[in-house]
Amino acid sequence: MLFPTIEFAVFFAVVFPITWLLNDHNTWKKLFLVAASYYFYAFWRVDFTLLLFASSLLNYLAALVIGRLQSRAWRLAVLWIAVAANLGLLGYFKYYNFFVAQLINGFDAVGLKVDVGFIELPLPVAISFFTFHALSYIIDVYRRALKPTTSLLDILFYISFFPHLIAGPIVRANKFLAQTVGRRDPANIRLGQSVFLIIGGLFKKVIVANYLSTGFVDGVFRDPTAASSLDLVLGMYAYALQIYCDFSAYTDIAIGIANLLGYEFPQNFNYPYRAVSVQDFWRRWHMSLSSWLRDYLYIPLGGSKFGTFATYRNIMITMALGGLWHGASWAFLIWGALHGAALVIERALGLAGEAAAKQRGPLATAFGWLVTLQFVCLAWIFFRAPSTDAWLGYFSTMFAGARWTTTMTPFVAVIFVLGALSHVLPPRWLEALDKRYDRASLPVKVAVPFVAIYLIAIAAPGGIAPFIYFQF
Amino acid sequence: MKHVDPSDLKPQPPDDPLRVAAIVIYLTLALLVLAIPQSLTNWLSDMNGNPVQEIALRGAGILRNVSQRIGVAGVYRRARDAFIAVSGVEPD
Repeated sequence: MLFPTIEFAVFFAVVFPITWLLNDHNTWKKLFLVAASYYFYAFWRVDFTLLLFASSLLNYLAALVIGRLQSRAWRLAVLWIAVAANLGLLGYFKYYNFFVAQLINGFDAVGLKVDVGFIELPLPVAISFFTFHALSYIIDVYRRALKPTTSLLDILFYISFFPHLIAGPIVRANKFLAQTVGRRDPANIRLGQSVFLIIGGLFKKVIVANYLSTGFVDGVFRDPTAASSLDLVLGMYAYALQIYCDFSAYTDIAIGIANLLGYEFPQNFNYPYRAVSVQDFWRRWHMSLSSWLRDYLYIPLGGSKFGTFATYRNIMITMALGGLWHGASWAFLIWGALHGAALVIERALGLAGEAAAKQRGPLATAFGWLVTLQFVCLAWIFFRAPSTDAWLGYFSTMFAGARWTTTMTPFVAVIFVLGALSHVLPPRWLEALDKRYDRASLPVKVAVPFVAIYLIAIAAPGGIAPFIYFQF
Repeated sequence: MKHVDPSDLKPQPPDDPLRVAAIVIYLTLALLVLAIPQSLTNWLSDMNGNPVQEIALRGAGILRNVSQRIGVAGVYRRARDAFIAVSGVEPD
């Protein structure tokens, strides 16, 4: 079930009133929301709901055991078993075929034949996201940063809650579980903010991301060697905008929907293409994933505590694994490693950190923004290209500078500019809009989402493509 | 003429955020169904046949008739056609 569909509108129209009617009966409300979330997940494939349940149950039990054990060594042992089980599940579905292919290719290169079978199961939607939610819970319990909950219902609710289930944002267990205690206060509904997050998300996904994808990007990436150099340059920027509009649309709608049901999610994007360094980019892009990687991978590896070399090594490992988290392919690994290398270079040149940011003048800031934007957009080519041949062909044709004609239509160019506005409009304008909406009369409050969605429906393409991050 | 002392006026209770949110959500959905009635009919027609679908389809048919009678269904169609003509995107 995709957010911008009639199915979801009907689903939400049923879930919203029942959730609030059950607000004074918290256990029933959570039971209802878990059932609704499993129903939402079952739209993709019913049998994978068992996987979701098994993962939740495993982590619930593991956290209880870790919480009861006094010996640090035993707690660590149980944590490792639970982490291995979580990653084993993720690895089996997501990486098994990739590693088998590498194994076969490796042996083949030295003239040996190995007969290892591939699995033919589709990747369960959201497995990367719910695994990271579960890991954050058991690791926090191990660190004694969070008491294990004795309520299986709370863990089922935390891991499966439908707004964040499919593509985040990754909500920390301590932040979410605190919200599962007692009734939610309807006074915390920020209607203006939720309405604009949902409308903005629909516009970014249905109009900008879809038309950029079908009208230009898909064609350019399908056969890069047949495209002109100008199309490849424009295709790179258009994909950068497409993936931002696609992914941020999902999490914006998720945050808005959760707030209407009385729950708070963290911000996930903060004008990422305004970043003036790669470090700054990762503080603005998929913020819930980058902070997750920092707290549960980079810091446990030692962070920056053990000297320059160890710091650089930890950055590279974190970013390479972060890249691989997105999918089982060399391109994702290269994409992550490129970002890691950029972060290392920034550190080595003294360009990273708050102090360096404060010392930068306006010219250095503008230069930093320009370089960062080009780097990030170039790196997206690895992310989007379907194969090694495709990204090799993309770069070689683009840099050959052979032809400077374009197939981008004026309509797609307009969509591109509209998408770019999402980074140009000052945040204070959007905040002012929220406040004006909250002060407006009821007819205006209804008219704004109605007119906005009506206009989006008029301009919507025939079919809505799935969100890019669903595959992760 | 009796003058009212403003201090005697009771302050208006703030709008109940849940009530306002519910009104906004359901009125928006209702207006959208009325303004683009064929979307609901098409969606229901795509579902597997069952008694609920038949009842829902009948309801959607009534809504579509109302929408056509008051002329709003045609507005959407004309706006959609105009958008397709201007943008050059594939027709439905």
